[in-house]
Amino acid sequence: MSSLHTISRSPQHKLLQACLKVINPGDEILFIEDGVYYCCDKKLLSLISRDNYVYGLREDLIARGLRDKQDALVEVVGYHKFVELTVQHSKTVSWF
Amino acid sequence: MSKKAFTFISRTAPYGSNRPKMSLDAALATAVFEQEVNYLFMDDGVYQLLANQNGEPIQAKTLGNALETLDLYGIDEVCVDYESLQKRNLEACDLAVPVTLLDATQMRALINRSDFVINL
Repeated sequence: MSSLHTISRSPQHKLLQACLKVINPGDEILFIEDGVYYCCDKKLLSLISRDNYVYGLREDLIARGLRDKQDALVEVVGYHKFVELTVQHSKTVSWF
Repeated sequence: MSKKAFTFISRTAPYGSNRPKMSLDAALATAVFEQEVNYLFMDDGVYQLLANQNGEPIQAKTLGNALETLDLYGIDEVCVDYESLQKRNLEACDLAVPVTLLDATQMRALINRSDFVINL
């Protein structure tokens, strides 16, 4: 039973740290809304294990002027893939 | 309706926002439908469990009292992130209800075996 974790608030709310406490190998993380600010923070992204794949939502990155600033660890995806991810995992855990 | 496992995660202090109350209402409603309900308190959420709360001076319902009803409603497990408790210099004996203390591995297992996780 894998989970998709969505994080939708900026790093100052420390949602990533809370999420990492309960994340399992094979779970994936998707940064959306203000959560996309994580995509440019190498140091915070380095807290994430290589067992957890990381995505950032393209529309939210573009809106915030971050489209070309995201770290190489982050795969940029659109809404279509967002929907696919929610289907692929047995549940979605939303951190907000 | 088949029985599903729900885990509610509450991570905010009791009176600063309505999130703890919303979480509790949702959890109690879920328990009424005879689902497996687990409640996990993390971060500032552990403050919700402190004994001797009294919301009266700030015209608020005492959340600690409400949490004492969890058992009556058939909430299967009230769990606390032990690390969050330690960081706030608290121990299980400071809390209003009996809880199960979990470490990171146990929390991961709980989330993994839940069908639904509601984060409020």
